[in-house]
Amino acid sequence: MRPGAARAAMRGAALMVAAGLLLAVWVVPVALTLLTSFKNEKEVLAYPPSVVFEPTIKAYGAVLTGPTNIVPNLMSSLIVAIGTTLLTIVIAVPAAYAFARLRLPGKKPVGFYVLATQLVPPIGLIIPYFLILNRVGWMDSYRGLILIYLTFSLPFAIWLLVSYFEDIPREMEEAALLDRASRWQAFWHVVLPQARGAIAVTVTFVFLNAWNEFLFAVVLGGATVKPVTVAMYNYINTEQTQWAQLSAAALVAMLPVIVLGILAQKHIVSGLSAGAVKGVSRR
Amino acid sequence: MTPDQRLAFAERPERRFALAMVAPGVLVLVVTTTFPLLYLIWQSLNNINLSMPGMDRFVGLENYARMWNDMRFWAAFGFTLIYTGATVTLQLVIGLAMALLILRIPRAQWAFRIAAILPIVLAPVVVGLIWRSLLLTPDFGIVDFASRSMGLGSHNWLGEPTLARISVIAIHTWQWTPFVFLYMLAALAALPAELYEAARIDRANAWRRFVHITLPLIRPTIVVVVILRMTVALSAFAAIYAATGGGPGTVTEIINLYAYRVSFAELSLGYGAASAVVLLALTMVVAGVLFRVRRAA
Repeated sequence: MRPGAARAAMRGAALMVAAGLLLAVWVVPVALTLLTSFKNEKEVLAYPPSVVFEPTIKAYGAVLTGPTNIVPNLMSSLIVAIGTTLLTIVIAVPAAYAFARLRLPGKKPVGFYVLATQLVPPIGLIIPYFLILNRVGWMDSYRGLILIYLTFSLPFAIWLLVSYFEDIPREMEEAALLDRASRWQAFWHVVLPQARGAIAVTVTFVFLNAWNEFLFAVVLGGATVKPVTVAMYNYINTEQTQWAQLSAAALVAMLPVIVLGILAQKHIVSGLSAGAVKGVSRR
Repeated sequence: MTPDQRLAFAERPERRFALAMVAPGVLVLVVTTTFPLLYLIWQSLNNINLSMPGMDRFVGLENYARMWNDMRFWAAFGFTLIYTGATVTLQLVIGLAMALLILRIPRAQWAFRIAAILPIVLAPVVVGLIWRSLLLTPDFGIVDFASRSMGLGSHNWLGEPTLARISVIAIHTWQWTPFVFLYMLAALAALPAELYEAARIDRANAWRRFVHITLPLIRPTIVVVVILRMTVALSAFAAIYAATGGGPGTVTEIINLYAYRVSFAELSLGYGAASAVVLLALTMVVAGVLFRVRRAA
């Protein structure tokens, strides 16, 4: 081998090692959670940490059927996330279409307003909501939580959809209008079917964000509405942490979002950067 | 009818239709976001303490004056800047370096794309709890185990002030660097290959190619990434809450945690509201500056 080739091979190997290490940094915490969820609580505290052990599904049993099981919490998360997603889509799709396609007085400032609402730190909303919901008796209710979830899902969904609507070719819609279809008919029968993919991506991310939310849920929720992110604390308290159960619960809570994330893999970059990227500059 | 008038006439139904399409969304945002924010500002001008119901009263700027002299608030303000600056810088540098690295091993790219999704989609509170327990617990956490194995000793990662600050920065960086990596990977893959060919013929080395070709080309991308990451870092809450709760003492309090603890642990909502208003202002200023930079870029 020529010295040059040897050096190139060395460099290639170094590259692979560096890449492998980086990969490990991301995967290990999740893999560790998976591993721990199959241990019993004694095995968890073995030193050095055991990799080979007799796997048990006891922790999953406790998390799914035990006295502190998270099944009601999964239901809670599901209701809040689905409710938020449905409302968001129904409101955001028409708005995004109008922003992307139609002449609208004051489009620029209104669009900017929508964008700005996305930047509001959650802590600025939770304090007034706490008092308002207390006053109207909506604490620990699905209505209350869904209402505040709209504050982050709606601007996000509108801007994400605007960027997709802008990429849909206008021809079919214009043809429909020439055929004397009304604006609404053109939107409903022509544009919406073309936007199905965009809506699916938006649904995915709105659901994901609602499912993962914690601050609003922990302050405004309670015994009735207790999403799974809050229920994690069932397994962690000042006296002791039940590591295996915490891991199993975390994994059960993660599973839907990991599946959604992998399904929406191609869209994750655009999905998480809605608004701040395209929005303002274009109009 | 002049042509202009005819156009205006034809536009009118479209305008009405557009208005009807946008109105519900804007209305909901005004009700759910703008009103509560106005109420927040009003709250910040009042003394509201949940442990003393019925004692609410208007106090003008008293809460802000108190905040001005509150060392704990300024510490939280300072750590918010450190936390935001450090996490955004680290994400950017590591994410970009990784993207450059992975771009050179196309065959392994898919594995990284999948792995990168894992941290991004997880709930920050779950990430915080996993780090706090499985990774950073002295003796049993994998990070502590690694530290001991390398002869660096066991540490109280979340209990010792400096280490706790480094840990919460590391947790946020761990969760969000993959996003920057994916973003940069997409941006780099879209760059024209011819430029690099020309540079290679000119015998420019890798570093110079990066500084003189890549960096200028991806500058707009970097600005966008910084905007995105800064706004997320400024509203971070759950991961720190889960990992340290703002402690030990108050050392890992960013304004979000400070406002949360003041409002919901010490129950003084008016004072908490004032600090939230400051954070709101800070976020808007940062966003305003960045958007201006972006337009220039």
